[in-house]
Amino acid sequence: MEESLEDRLKTLIVETLALEDVDPASIQTDAPLFGEGLGLDSIDALELALAIHTSFGVKTRENDERNREYYHSVRSLCEFIRAEQAKVAAPGT
Amino acid sequence: MSSLTPSVTHGILKFARTVRVYFFMGVYTAISPIGYLLLAILSRVGKADPVARARRMQRVTTTAYRFMHRWLHWVRIAHFDYRGVLPGLPAGPCVVVANHPTIMDISAITALLGGGCTVAKPSLYRRRMLHRLLEASGTIEGPGPDPVAAGRVVDSAVRWIQQGFSLILFPEGTRSPPGRLLPFGRAAFEIACRARVPVVSLAIRCVPMWLSKEVPLFQPPHPMPHLRLTLLATDDPAAVQFDSHRLRELVEGRYRSWYLLGLPSGTPGDGADVMEPATAAKEGVGRWRNRSKIA
Repeated sequence: MEESLEDRLKTLIVETLALEDVDPASIQTDAPLFGEGLGLDSIDALELALAIHTSFGVKTRENDERNREYYHSVRSLCEFIRAEQAKVAAPGT
Repeated sequence: MSSLTPSVTHGILKFARTVRVYFFMGVYTAISPIGYLLLAILSRVGKADPVARARRMQRVTTTAYRFMHRWLHWVRIAHFDYRGVLPGLPAGPCVVVANHPTIMDISAITALLGGGCTVAKPSLYRRRMLHRLLEASGTIEGPGPDPVAAGRVVDSAVRWIQQGFSLILFPEGTRSPPGRLLPFGRAAFEIACRARVPVVSLAIRCVPMWLSKEVPLFQPPHPMPHLRLTLLATDDPAAVQFDSHRLRELVEGRYRSWYLLGLPSGTPGDGADVMEPATAAKEGVGRWRNRSKIA
């Protein structure tokens, strides 16, 4: 069975940010990535943005007011990736 | 003639200091437009090269801060003690980090280093009257709420360091709460790792406390506040294989130990604002995630 985007993203977070003591399955899909949740910081966000670009071909635009919303949780990040991939798949829309 | 009780004497001296602060602020308010105009002119005329212009702006700011510190000492409002740190500073550019108990901290570090770039909150950086001055003096606009904007800040900081400037950052991101430290961010350490320059850790202590979040300008304490800078350590990022996680943990751990143990005896107000071990534990000693990028 193919791995879901959520699961792939959780694995990517753990591998990219070297969260040695975190099991990807233990990351809650709706939990905040920053601060109280997984406790990521701004440099983690930067590394994660680069990894998402490399792995999913989705570029995070700097100074986009919605970045905070996109990077809130695994679920919001997956929605962002799907939306960006859909834009590429259907150019001109 | 009966002598005054200590509490009455204390009250009189405290009142006298408050009067001097009002006088100082009156003079400061009167002459600050001249200083602003001078900086505004310097930020626009001559020196098309932004690096040369930033150096000139920082020289003027440093001179102004040093003059202000002498003046504050002379009128017995506050004493600044940072010259003892000078021999321990690296010769070239570095990233200077410090705890941030008061609003005087940045002026003391700038006066010590003779300049330095720093990061300002976007709301401050974008202020109409300040934007041009901050930009010309090499101040970097902070990332604000955008989680991926840290990349711009890091790149910009590394470029300034490569031009020979030091960078001053408060890794807590805001002023330290009384007697404790907030968790350190990683940006300063990432910048040091990328620019391959040492991290200089300065410990700032103001005894008695003044101009913190709790002690406002017009309530100066008695005796005269001493703001003292101490060099905790200089860390080469190469020693942690340029891993900003490890560098942050090393530096933050050192600051938390300093808060637990306090300064060596004989320093002004020793032990006055040392955090209790239980509080320290609650505030996050040993809270770091077990992570490492080193194979």
